[in-house]
Amino acid sequence: MLDLLAQAAQPEFARPRIDWFALSPELVLLSLGALLTLLDVVFAERAKAITSAIAGLGLVGVIIPLVAVWTRVNDGDVLYAFAEKKPGATDPVGLEHYVIDEYAIVMKILFVLVGYVVVLLSTNYVAEGDYWESEYYGLLISSILGMVVMASARDLIGIFVALELLSIPAYLLAAWRKRDKLSNEAGLKYYLMGVFASAVMLYGMSLLYGTTGSTLLVDISKAVGGRESSSIATLGIVFVAVGFAFKVSAVPFHNWAPDTYEGAPTPVTAFLAVASKTAGFVALLTLVYVGFWGRGDVYEPLMWFLAAASMTIGNLLALRQTNFVRMMAYSGVAQTGFIIAPLAVAGNGDIADAALSTTVNYLAIYAAMNLGAFGVLIALARKTRSAEISDMRGAFHYAPGLTAVMTVFLFSLAGIPPIGGWFAKFRVFSVLVQDDSVSGYLLAVVVAVNSVIALYYYASVARTMWADEAPDGDLTPVNVPPSLVAALGITVAITLVFGILPSVVGDFTDVSLLAGG
Amino acid sequence: MTDAVILAYDPEVPRQIAFFLIAAVMVFSAFRVVTTKNVVHAALYLVLVLAGVAAQFILLGAEFVGVTQVLVYIGAVIVLFLFGIMLTRAELGDDESVATERRGMAALTGVLLFGVMTYAVVDVFDDQTIDRTEASTTGQIGDAIFKEYIIPFEAVSVLLLAALIGAIVIARKD
Repeated sequence: MLDLLAQAAQPEFARPRIDWFALSPELVLLSLGALLTLLDVVFAERAKAITSAIAGLGLVGVIIPLVAVWTRVNDGDVLYAFAEKKPGATDPVGLEHYVIDEYAIVMKILFVLVGYVVVLLSTNYVAEGDYWESEYYGLLISSILGMVVMASARDLIGIFVALELLSIPAYLLAAWRKRDKLSNEAGLKYYLMGVFASAVMLYGMSLLYGTTGSTLLVDISKAVGGRESSSIATLGIVFVAVGFAFKVSAVPFHNWAPDTYEGAPTPVTAFLAVASKTAGFVALLTLVYVGFWGRGDVYEPLMWFLAAASMTIGNLLALRQTNFVRMMAYSGVAQTGFIIAPLAVAGNGDIADAALSTTVNYLAIYAAMNLGAFGVLIALARKTRSAEISDMRGAFHYAPGLTAVMTVFLFSLAGIPPIGGWFAKFRVFSVLVQDDSVSGYLLAVVVAVNSVIALYYYASVARTMWADEAPDGDLTPVNVPPSLVAALGITVAITLVFGILPSVVGDFTDVSLLAGG
Repeated sequence: MTDAVILAYDPEVPRQIAFFLIAAVMVFSAFRVVTTKNVVHAALYLVLVLAGVAAQFILLGAEFVGVTQVLVYIGAVIVLFLFGIMLTRAELGDDESVATERRGMAALTGVLLFGVMTYAVVDVFDDQTIDRTEASTTGQIGDAIFKEYIIPFEAVSVLLLAALIGAIVIARKD
């Protein structure tokens, strides 16, 4: 009798069933990071020559388990990392803490591909720049691991830990050129603003947990959605959203971006501008669609404001920049506005799925064109040693190929048909109009006006490269290493294919998070 | 039965007295953290605030969180603060320049935030009481870490290794 009582008070620990197949991409990625670290420990200097190749090949290798899992979840199935046998039930039930569905897999594939392109961009930059190589790739891989975990995490603790795992290596990488004051400033600024945002977000999470009694997003959704609005839940949602608004550098939380982008090593800048930002969006999407679903009255106005402010202020500040990286930072702020815009109408059940796939679609195209633009900059900087727009004058005369490729990326960022960025912007516009509400139409107008403003500064960079004379008449060609050629080839192909065959690749990003309704 | 007898047997009374005593110390110390002109004193007052938080957790029966609070905040974070103050050769005595700029804005932000938070907490929780009859929560936390939270738990270990390696690279002289 006493034994029985004791068991009732403290149930036996039951090990949950773990789906190793569903977790295989994470495990491969983890082994890759461990391998890179161990190679450095065992072979020291001799391992330097191969670390970047192993990091790149390893990331390509991760695609294999990802695609294998993808074929299983392609038709709407959902895999759970853990399953638990409930008392009385015959089959174990999946736990909602870590979910592998089509959305998660598509985002994971995107993260790993972006990681691969960043490794290609880094190869020569890091090897020739006297940086700490194997540590560099090790941190890069652990940051990507954080992103991959983020795509599947469906509870507050998982999301928070994934965010820290992807951010902390990024803070360190931003300061990697450690003898350069600008890089120190970049790392420190990014770190301080980042922890501050994390603290605000964690406070919001604690409020949500306090009022709902659960860290699981599905439970939070049941508790805060539908019911009368409660001030604690509202504060919690706002604080958490603000934390991620920092991560995606939305106005008014964008101040860190230009200085950090300028000071960090350029491949790291590309990584921050694309991968880190996408991870922030993945968390925002999961939170809005799974956690805060039904609380459109709270997040819709917030997203509307963030989108309109980011687009307008980002674009106006980008107009005045003379440094290409700073211009890209402000243009990235503006692009953030475009990507957030569909979330301002996401609460409308009829177009919620369309809004989600529009955002995912934009993220995929944004990744390709932004990485490409930074890739061209890295290639040109091998000759000019500068990121000033004035130093890109007359690039056409000594690097016609790079100039043409850069033009594709710039026009794609501006949204000129028939290049990828046009399709992305068009879908944002159409989903806003479909909402058929005043706020939707207003935001659509803001999108349209900002697309025109953006064209001005993107086109002026292209004009500088095509029409001006090269400085000092120096026409020595740029030596573009094969890894950079590969990176530019991949990104330019994806950018063009998304624009010319939108229906084919559009299927890739047609995902849904509303399986449960 | 008179009121006095009921009070004598109610375990809530000593808890309430302890709560308000600790809370008073915490509020005073928190105020001193931002008003004292000596950085080291500010850090030491912060110790008092954090120890108060730990004590409140223990009063609520959350002994694991209370002990963690002592270990992490008083044991690690404050020591880090003091090291930071020493290593950066900050002014150790009274420093008149500390926290005079933008004092008004900071106070305004603090008061506003306090108002919003107080309103929200009182609005939602009002006079709800929590059930404190449950046995120790430490075992449950241990089970949860190795069950549904095993992925965040493992991710944290990767995170610590990455942070360690990165910090060494950044801090090295060469």
